[in-house]
Amino acid sequence: MSLHPQYARPRSAAQAVEVLGNLGAGAVVIAGGQELMPHVNYGRLMPTVYVDIAALPELAGITEKDGEVAIGALTVHRTLQRDAIVQRALPLLAHAAAQVGGGWQVHNRGTVGGNLVAMHPLYDIAPVLLALQADVEIQAPEGVRRAALGKILAETSHGLGTSSLLTRILLKPMQPDAGWAYEKLKITAGSYGSANAAAVVSLTGNKLSTLRVVIGAVSEQPLDASEALHGLLGKPWDAVAGARVESLCSASPKTLLDDQQGDATWRRAMAGVVARRAVQAAVANAQRTNK
Amino acid sequence: MTAKSKHAQGGSDRAYVGQGVRTLGGDALVAGVAKYTSDFQFPGQLHAHFVRSPHAAARIKRVDLSGALKVAGVVLAMEGKEAAEHLDPIPHYIDAAVFGGKTVHVRCLALDQVWQFGQPVAVVVAEDKKTARYAASRVQVEYEPTPAVLEAEDAVKPGAPVVVPGWADNSIMALPFVNGDVVKAFERAHRVVKTTVRIHRFSTQPIETRTYNAVWDHETHGITFYATAQNPHPLRHVLSTALRMPENLIRIVAPAIGGAFGMKMHGHPEEALVCLLTKRTGQPVKWVEDREECLLIGAREQLHEVELAVQKDGEILGLRDRALANTGAPSACPGWGMAFLTGLTFPGPYKVTDVDVLMNIVTTNKPSWNASRGYGKEATALALELAIDNTARAIGVDPIEMRLRNFIAKDAFPYNSPTGLIYDSGDYAGAVKKTLEALGYDNWKKKQQQARAEGKLLGIGLAYELTPEGGAIPGTMVAGYDSSTVRVGPDGSVMLLTGVTTPGTGNPTGMAQIVADELGVELEGIRVVQGDTTTCPYGFGNYSGRSTIVGGGAAAMAAREVREKILTIGAALLEVDFATVSLLRGVLRSSAKPDKTLSLKEVAYAAYTRAYDVGLAITPPLEATCTFRPGLIRHTPDEKGRINPYPSYSNAAYAVVCEVDRETGQVKLLQFAAAHDCGKVINPVLVEGQACGAIAFGIGGMLNEEIRFDAQGRQLTNTFVNYVMPRAHDVPAINMVHHDSPNPVTYQGLKGAGEAGVGGSAAAVVNAVNDALAPLNVSITDLPLTAPRVWQAIQSAAQPARKREVA
Amino acid sequence: MTTNMEEMLEDSVLLQCRVNNKPCELEIAPGTTLLELLREEMRLTGTHMGCMTGHCGACTVLIDGQVAKSCITLAATVQRKTITTLEGLKDAEGKLTPIQQAFWDEAGLQCAFCAPGMVLTATELLKSNAEPTDDEIRTAMAGNLCRCTGYQSIVRAVRAAARVMKQLK
Repeated sequence: MSLHPQYARPRSAAQAVEVLGNLGAGAVVIAGGQELMPHVNYGRLMPTVYVDIAALPELAGITEKDGEVAIGALTVHRTLQRDAIVQRALPLLAHAAAQVGGGWQVHNRGTVGGNLVAMHPLYDIAPVLLALQADVEIQAPEGVRRAALGKILAETSHGLGTSSLLTRILLKPMQPDAGWAYEKLKITAGSYGSANAAAVVSLTGNKLSTLRVVIGAVSEQPLDASEALHGLLGKPWDAVAGARVESLCSASPKTLLDDQQGDATWRRAMAGVVARRAVQAAVANAQRTNK
Repeated sequence: MTAKSKHAQGGSDRAYVGQGVRTLGGDALVAGVAKYTSDFQFPGQLHAHFVRSPHAAARIKRVDLSGALKVAGVVLAMEGKEAAEHLDPIPHYIDAAVFGGKTVHVRCLALDQVWQFGQPVAVVVAEDKKTARYAASRVQVEYEPTPAVLEAEDAVKPGAPVVVPGWADNSIMALPFVNGDVVKAFERAHRVVKTTVRIHRFSTQPIETRTYNAVWDHETHGITFYATAQNPHPLRHVLSTALRMPENLIRIVAPAIGGAFGMKMHGHPEEALVCLLTKRTGQPVKWVEDREECLLIGAREQLHEVELAVQKDGEILGLRDRALANTGAPSACPGWGMAFLTGLTFPGPYKVTDVDVLMNIVTTNKPSWNASRGYGKEATALALELAIDNTARAIGVDPIEMRLRNFIAKDAFPYNSPTGLIYDSGDYAGAVKKTLEALGYDNWKKKQQQARAEGKLLGIGLAYELTPEGGAIPGTMVAGYDSSTVRVGPDGSVMLLTGVTTPGTGNPTGMAQIVADELGVELEGIRVVQGDTTTCPYGFGNYSGRSTIVGGGAAAMAAREVREKILTIGAALLEVDFATVSLLRGVLRSSAKPDKTLSLKEVAYAAYTRAYDVGLAITPPLEATCTFRPGLIRHTPDEKGRINPYPSYSNAAYAVVCEVDRETGQVKLLQFAAAHDCGKVINPVLVEGQACGAIAFGIGGMLNEEIRFDAQGRQLTNTFVNYVMPRAHDVPAINMVHHDSPNPVTYQGLKGAGEAGVGGSAAAVVNAVNDALAPLNVSITDLPLTAPRVWQAIQSAAQPARKREVA
Repeated sequence: MTTNMEEMLEDSVLLQCRVNNKPCELEIAPGTTLLELLREEMRLTGTHMGCMTGHCGACTVLIDGQVAKSCITLAATVQRKTITTLEGLKDAEGKLTPIQQAFWDEAGLQCAFCAPGMVLTATELLKSNAEPTDDEIRTAMAGNLCRCTGYQSIVRAVRAAARVMKQLK
């Protein structure tokens, strides 16, 4: 806690982590600042040192190599929307980046890494990346590690933003015949999300062959409902299947958020509704793509 | 048809009044060079930060400032006891005691106890903001929490914790508005339908928060107070009383303001306190309210149990309402008075005369109300309009037909209302017809049938709002008159100084249009000065849509006087009869000598320099100060003890189409139409802009804005994450039309346009949603209509079909 | 690797950037936000404070031609960037841009406290989309709150600006 914070600008991810380790509590990572600065502005957080990671080369850029897309943590939402690789290989992510709240200002300055590390229950990026089964690359004190995003979200010891740094998000390109959709339910246009669902499907004929559904904004953590929906694979997509998705997804959250974005009962029902709508739209999307 | 803006038709003879001329000084606004209060900074500037109570109700055992005083850069810290030595209680804007209600001293810093979450308990002054805030966090206050009461219904129960020590109960006053014989009316009626309308607490939240910068003048021992203040002169009076300083040593400067909506009417604890701080430190002290502090200020929370006694065809024979207003903790701000207005505005535009309204105005430990756009009249509109729709549905009458059946006829004006108001003019049925046309009602009805056949929930809602404007409350600084000075300099340049102020809606332009026409000069050169108590004539600022009515009215009178002086001199210079001269766009002509003209500059210079020959017929200089005091206001009580505090009655009809998503409860507004009567329209573009803004308030209030507390009374709604106001996509296209009936006594018949719109549009939205839900046999009158609440109503309809009202 | 922490930690930041077409070189405290830098250090008060949490947009500036909320931007992170505030939109002769002119002519704003967000977002929008639909305008404005206008006049002003700019081409 300091009235006179200092500033540090490490030159590499490894150096950044070393510096964070040396500084301990009170030091904060700053990139776009969209998450951090509101707390600082109200004096709720009084950093001792701002560790500026904006120049770190390991966190920059989007590349595709060996069948994998690597997105640097510093990539802003605007770039995700427009980048040729993302649009081609990860269209769901490009679309979701346009649904991020806060307007163009946040799209221009907010980083995908910052959004993810915030682990805010109402945000859009984590559910989508989970649906895409992303891995994350982390610069930790002991070196670079790579893990499934789902595993990191479930951990409490990842130290992201305090002792370790998210460097890249690693994804397999989506199948060219995949259908995808992102449903974001807001009470009004200006609201934060109350329930969202990302869906990726592929069809064989009119039957579902793969199905990934992740639900966000209804619980503290995004919910990967894909396992629960396993029974729908190999079956046609129809109204009955839709009703199954809705009831299974509605039942799946163990704990629910209850706040000004909506009470728990409604949130539970909406989990089912957005999941069903997302799958419906993803199926329609797949059918269009494969005509 | 929506009005189009355009440049003033320079060089033509067309009157400015009635044209949508662009705003004077608008170039400074778009170029970012206009100065708002926070833009001012002075040498030696200090900054204040408040320590606020985390409890809704508590005794203060001890305030320890020592931790704050140890922080480098801190200049001063103060708590309630010391403040009370130097400051008297804040004079009430509207003292309930004047009306037979309960009153209490309100101090800037809490003394022995706190009665609301967020109440200022101490203040720290430092060389920069962050230091002040940090040091404030080092102040230690020992509280002993006491039982708090948060809901009005709980506050009126016997045995409820009493908010104000010494009061017998929590009722400020319980105001009856009774006329005729409601009991007989109810007996005669075919049916009595009860509607419970629960209006929640929400807030106006202008984008600019409150800001005060008090500058001590070592030369005069006076204070210049730069403030986001709607009412500079009355504020000066309040400060002088609290500070025990003469008014002539206090100067209020109200710069460009970033929205007001009633929130910036005075009585706030920080006002006098910041002045005290500059007095004590001898340096300028600035306080900028943060958004969390701003969200403490709310209003409108009222519960109405309305009963309409109706005939089979929907004719209303009698109206009964039992209402509770939760005005929060006591305050010197005029917020609580809104509830008085709510009662007074019944039965709105309807001709029923047997009424029995009881408005119980209650204190609780929620943070205090301040005035909020609509000033209580929006609550009347909500209660009435929701009750009418609910009643119409219950008896199987079309709600539009029911309104048309019950409206006061257009030839019934001036109309004496059952509560003692005198409505000036209006054609309510005509406005409704125009609104429905503007909406494309018949088309939408067809679409609704189709939609219903497909199982979709499409709704069309109508509501009417009667908005008394320009109010004057006896014995208070809510004054119905105001003054303006028109001054023409020796070079012919024109200045308008006025006691009214603007909340940023453009009334300076409107008043300049009036002056330009009345004086006979070009519009663009007129300079309007407002908001400075030293230079402007005594006035009461802005609220209640008054500025153009009284400020503009006074400006017209002053302009006429100055015009007469100009014409007199001009006639003398031209050596012609006075009756032959005229002044248009700054050029003086005589029909007796068509080849000669004089510029205003020449005439003006002569007025100042030739006081003993051509100027003998006038009293120099070329200026006049006039006061407009509208005649329709009557403060002498009638035989029933009632007064008419309003000179004019704006009114409007609102119609909206919505679609409700069955699965989620989300409400999507598809189209909005409104026909409003604000009397003469000085500048249609500005008036329309204000009306659209008011509609956005109504939409926001009904669909998402809500201030919430936990069980202990801590306010949970503290940022724009959880206080969600409409954004561009939330407001549909609005088709606005005019249906004006002039007011008989104001300038060209104008009625005021600032306040109307919040209640009527809000009620139209609710009525549309309930119309959408009608096939399910549910309706909601418990506000706001957030998606979860609407969804809940839809779910409850899945129960066996029986008319349900969802609380 | 062992980093020399004394060298790594700076008590102040030498910020070099461009503000409204002028080079800016200032030694600033690391905790300074871009909003504070503009309003308090440089006395450019055209950019406003509305919420301090990045919701209202009244603090909007252009950073390299793209809108950003200056209240949540740490000034140190705009090293070598070009900042344009509302005051800086004017051309060399001090003339209003067509967008500013349109907002004035069309009574797009009332109190104008939200002007930085509205006018600068319109500026970024019309650069990439010369003929936006109403829907596209409202989407672009999603980061900006207005409490006075109900947005109708703002959309009208942006449409008028688009028309004028098309004619100028």
